[in-house]
Amino acid sequence: MMKSYDLESEKELAKEFLSSFADANGEAKYMNVLQEVANRKIRSVQIDLEDLFNYKDLDEEFFRRITENTRRYIEIFASAIDKLLPEPTEAIPDDDHDVLMTQRSEDGTDNADGSDPLQKMPPELKRYYEVYIRASSKGRPFTIREVKASYIGQLVRISGIITRCSDVKPLMQFSVYTCEECGNEIYQQVTARVFMPMFECPSSRCKLNNTKGNLILQLRASKFLKFQEAKIQELAEHVPKGHIPRTMSIHLRGELTRKLHGDVVELSGIFLPIPYTGFRAFRAGLVADTYLEAMSVTHFKKKYEEYELRGDEEEQIARLAEDGDIYNKLSRSLAPEIYGHEDIKKALLLLLVGAPHRKLKDGMKIRGDLHICLMGDPGVAKSQLLKHIINVAPRGVYTTGKGSSGVGLTAAVQRDPVTNEMVLEGGALVLADMGICAIDEFDKMDESDRTAIHEVMEQQTVSIAKAGITTSLNARTAVLAAANPAWGRYDLRRTPAENINLPPALLSRFDILWLILDRADMDSDLEMARHIVYVHQNKESPALGFTPLEASTLRAYISAARRVSPCVPRELEEYIAAAYSNIRQEEAKSNTPHSYTTVRTLLSILRISAALARLRFSESVAQSDVDEALRLMQMSKFSLYSDDRQKSGLDAISDIYSILRDEAARTNKLDVSYAHALNWISRKGYSEAQLKECLEEYAALNVWQIHPHTFDIRFIDA
Amino acid sequence: MVGPQYDCLVNPLGAVRSTFDKAMASGSDPSAFNGSDWGALDVFRQFLIDQSSLSQVPVLNPTTIGRIQPDTLVRFRGMIQDMLGNEFYVGAYKNDAVWRTNKYTDLPQFPMGEEPDMRIWERRLLYCVPVPGQNSWTESLSEVLPNGCMDWTSQQREKRPRMDDDASDHMDMVSDDECINSSCVKKMRGEGHASPSSSSQSKDSKMEGTSSSMIKIPDVDGDSLPCLVKIYDCPESELKLNEIFEFIGVFTMNSEVTVAKEDNSEVSDSFFEDELISFPANKVPRLHCLIHRKLEVHDFLHSSPMFELKPHLVREIRESLLGHLTVILGNDGIAAQFMLLHLLSKVHTRVDNVAVGKLSLNLTCLSKESVSVFGNRLNHAVKNLLPFTHCIPLSVEYLNTASLAPKKEYQTNRLIPGVLQLTEGSHLIIDETKLEAGTLNSNGVENTTLLKNLMEFQKVEYDFQYYKMEMTTDVQLLIFSEGKSNIVPADLVIPFQPSSADSIDAVPTEALEAWRWYLATVRSLPHSIETEIQKVIENDLVAARQADRSLGSQDFSRWLTMGRLMSASFGETTLSLEHWQMVKEMERLRRERLK
Repeated sequence: MMKSYDLESEKELAKEFLSSFADANGEAKYMNVLQEVANRKIRSVQIDLEDLFNYKDLDEEFFRRITENTRRYIEIFASAIDKLLPEPTEAIPDDDHDVLMTQRSEDGTDNADGSDPLQKMPPELKRYYEVYIRASSKGRPFTIREVKASYIGQLVRISGIITRCSDVKPLMQFSVYTCEECGNEIYQQVTARVFMPMFECPSSRCKLNNTKGNLILQLRASKFLKFQEAKIQELAEHVPKGHIPRTMSIHLRGELTRKLHGDVVELSGIFLPIPYTGFRAFRAGLVADTYLEAMSVTHFKKKYEEYELRGDEEEQIARLAEDGDIYNKLSRSLAPEIYGHEDIKKALLLLLVGAPHRKLKDGMKIRGDLHICLMGDPGVAKSQLLKHIINVAPRGVYTTGKGSSGVGLTAAVQRDPVTNEMVLEGGALVLADMGICAIDEFDKMDESDRTAIHEVMEQQTVSIAKAGITTSLNARTAVLAAANPAWGRYDLRRTPAENINLPPALLSRFDILWLILDRADMDSDLEMARHIVYVHQNKESPALGFTPLEASTLRAYISAARRVSPCVPRELEEYIAAAYSNIRQEEAKSNTPHSYTTVRTLLSILRISAALARLRFSESVAQSDVDEALRLMQMSKFSLYSDDRQKSGLDAISDIYSILRDEAARTNKLDVSYAHALNWISRKGYSEAQLKECLEEYAALNVWQIHPHTFDIRFIDA
Repeated sequence: MVGPQYDCLVNPLGAVRSTFDKAMASGSDPSAFNGSDWGALDVFRQFLIDQSSLSQVPVLNPTTIGRIQPDTLVRFRGMIQDMLGNEFYVGAYKNDAVWRTNKYTDLPQFPMGEEPDMRIWERRLLYCVPVPGQNSWTESLSEVLPNGCMDWTSQQREKRPRMDDDASDHMDMVSDDECINSSCVKKMRGEGHASPSSSSQSKDSKMEGTSSSMIKIPDVDGDSLPCLVKIYDCPESELKLNEIFEFIGVFTMNSEVTVAKEDNSEVSDSFFEDELISFPANKVPRLHCLIHRKLEVHDFLHSSPMFELKPHLVREIRESLLGHLTVILGNDGIAAQFMLLHLLSKVHTRVDNVAVGKLSLNLTCLSKESVSVFGNRLNHAVKNLLPFTHCIPLSVEYLNTASLAPKKEYQTNRLIPGVLQLTEGSHLIIDETKLEAGTLNSNGVENTTLLKNLMEFQKVEYDFQYYKMEMTTDVQLLIFSEGKSNIVPADLVIPFQPSSADSIDAVPTEALEAWRWYLATVRSLPHSIETEIQKVIENDLVAARQADRSLGSQDFSRWLTMGRLMSASFGETTLSLEHWQMVKEMERLRRERLK
């Protein structure tokens, strides 16, 4: 294979590339690296294939040859670097190695029977650096099962989870002997795990004299490499249905050791058969074990902040952002298989997006994470919603209030069984720092966790003062809780406060509280019956009427949205304040004040509005955002108290009329534009259809006139 | 071509090589086809299918393994229990300027030179075991050879049915406990090393005496025969975990290879031990698969051609089977009706986490005493009707010690089978009557969640330590309990009300065969609901929900499943109003009992 082209010309190509490649800033990237190497600052020279691809004089054949025969090209690049390596610009202290090298080079001059290859010092022995060739990070990495026999010897990029990792051990690369008779240094390259040491001096002098010089292995002079083995396994999501995850062995050398810690990683490396020696060689002809000689290690990022957009995602996001209906489109794509619950899904989408954290001048922090509590009868898909949200979030922890480990939700001090030291172990909330923590069975939480969760939800830290350890851990997480009503099922004869088995102090920390009830209603029953019959007849879910976005697209969009930190413009301050005081007054008016409208509510409105602005990639909150935030909060309240509305005697139509009349009176105008009217009534939780109905009904009563095209309202002055 | 020069049966490798030489002679380049077939398979396909010589191929099982010559053609029936990944081997190499191949073999035919020109190809390794819970009636007959071309095997076969009769006679006499446990004991034995916990092993040995009379497969060394199957050129998606296949290929058992390997293992690093060390070749035979085919329940029946799907015939069989079930259930006709539907259930599809078509049954009001009569009868009856059956006696100790879910063992790189690693269409009886109050440890809690998930979603989580993977299954679950089982909440709960405990007459073999055929055939019938009846159903459901708010989507789904099973049980493919009414009536009767 190698004979088809010239080794020397390849070295020239490599040399040329290294010396003349200029990166985006026009700097000679590799020459800078080599200078660092010469100054003994770094040890590894990483050659990015992407750079080679972007290289101005790209020779595609050369590129292909490198990917297909990478191991050989490492050697070629190394010898090119040997020639290019500049003089150190800084003084470097001599270590053992250098002393040895000086000694050797002095010896070399007076001992010039260099015809013997075993006596000639191999270039690897002089090298201080290691060369790695990194696969291009473009495109999707392979899964382990996609690496086939035809990839042997090639550079591949795979992803997986590290399952086993050995200790780092020294691996002999060159063994060096001295001969008792002639005093020559003899070098032997070791390519496998096992090697046969030399016993007789092969130098020409010893051979000539027929002395059979005794060789002594010089450990200090030999070259060792750090060496580590690991096993990588396919990720669960890459395993096709009905198959078992595959594993692959990884060899890590030199600077790449100690880079893996039981994590999801992306590796590039050379896929190679294991060279056999000794007994194995007999069998070697038949079956070859393979491994991946690692060339680079990348850990997967699990935070929004570190989320890297891949390939066409940027473009996709831009396209989505241009499309006006992004709010609906995204929220519908959350758990598309769960029917209905549009407003809950909207709230959950906002929870994923969150608002920016604020840090005031005096050091006080205001959280940006939204907390949502879903409450409801068993079997209304609460848990499924929770699990789906966790799947969408890049960092999410799903747990139950009871928790399974002793650590619980917050944190615990535990005694390490080996060292007997006290160690701090984070619970689910700490693990979900900068992410989302979904807590199912929130009402069944341990008493100790319940007290701690107050702190988590507002201050976003977990404080520990136990067993001599006082500390506080960050828990900047959005809490998504699901709870069952106090008596298992929601009891309509009791008040909501009685049904909700949680203290008000805890409830007020949730931005949105939603009750999902399984209400008796003909339409929804028929809907359900239809759905089930359809499923049994057609063996699939009824069509959704839209194509939900992929989870990865959602994640990318949300991560992009989270980079925006919108603020509230001055002209909106008044509007929000008015809305807030309205809610407070309404509450004061009603004789059963069952909601807890506090300053926290105001903060919630701001948070939800900011999250909505983020979705539009807008730097400032608009009035429509505030309106939508108020509407969502109103809807969540209705889910809790909808029965009261019926009791109050007002039907929807007359309620809408009174809202519009009040607003018109407040602004002292007779004209109300349709858009405004829609805004007001949607804040109170009414739909557009109801507004239209109201408009028609009252227009017939000659209370107002409706513009035939714009639907603007004009009150008839009485 | 003048027919194969080699006897495919005795010298399959010769046939492989001759086709390879032919392909080489016609100018093919070994690197060009990269391990894919060069025409060897055609020869075998022709031999096995066109000349219908499949029956001449000896079956590999514990009794025959000693007699089969290495490098001959064999067939093996088993479930894919584990997938060991790829093996890279030297597929083609040059020997004296002639290309040779190593495909379908472990050892090269000609010595390989120092550094020969070679091509590395790959093959996949599958670890196959006999189907867990397979009942003897499937095995004894499936191996019968139609023509006595091979004397020694057919003699062997003839003995089988008689042994079975003996065994089933025993079956009725042995006391209750052992009978219930028998299938699980058998399973534990099948796993062998899989359940290292001392308690389960002690149970095992304690029962050795009785169980030996019940294990009808004459095990040579008390161990079932696994087989390491090497698969060449076939898409990965064709072979899936827990599916049952018949593999036809070259049988090898090379002791030299193992010796060399074991010597070597001392030298090699303990961290990366050879994957194959855990499969000593003298225990686990290798089969280089040439042709494989997926097996359905029908392949385990032997009377399929006898019957036709005629309406009156199906009705007749249905009536007789229902009668049989009624007798077994002590004249409880309603329970028998439900039992029939239960035995016909099967997961047809999965829609949003819901396994459509499952129908698990919970017989309540069974005390310890009545279980000893009816539980055993049912267990026995189900064993005789369905090919793959299991029984789990639920006790606190069992839950705490048993390993229900398969678990990946990274030391040996094996998937250790769990009790719930079952092939599609298995039947599982869970006997909860022996459960007493006690404390569950973490293993016990995990096992109960596994059972619950199996019941609800027909999914089992396999433990890969670093993550868990959900595998879908299709298992019919029957639960015996005193009150309603809360550990494994079944789709249907019916209080069992027997009125007699008369002993059952022996069932004629023809009837049994007819019932087996009926169950296997009718289960997989297609099904549709016409528009008019669809309206009726929708209205019925809405009305039912208006009347009773506690009914949920699960109940409705169950009704529709029952509707499907009901019409299928009559051999019909569309739901008729009559059958829908029958379902509603059954539900009414059941609800009355529950009150």
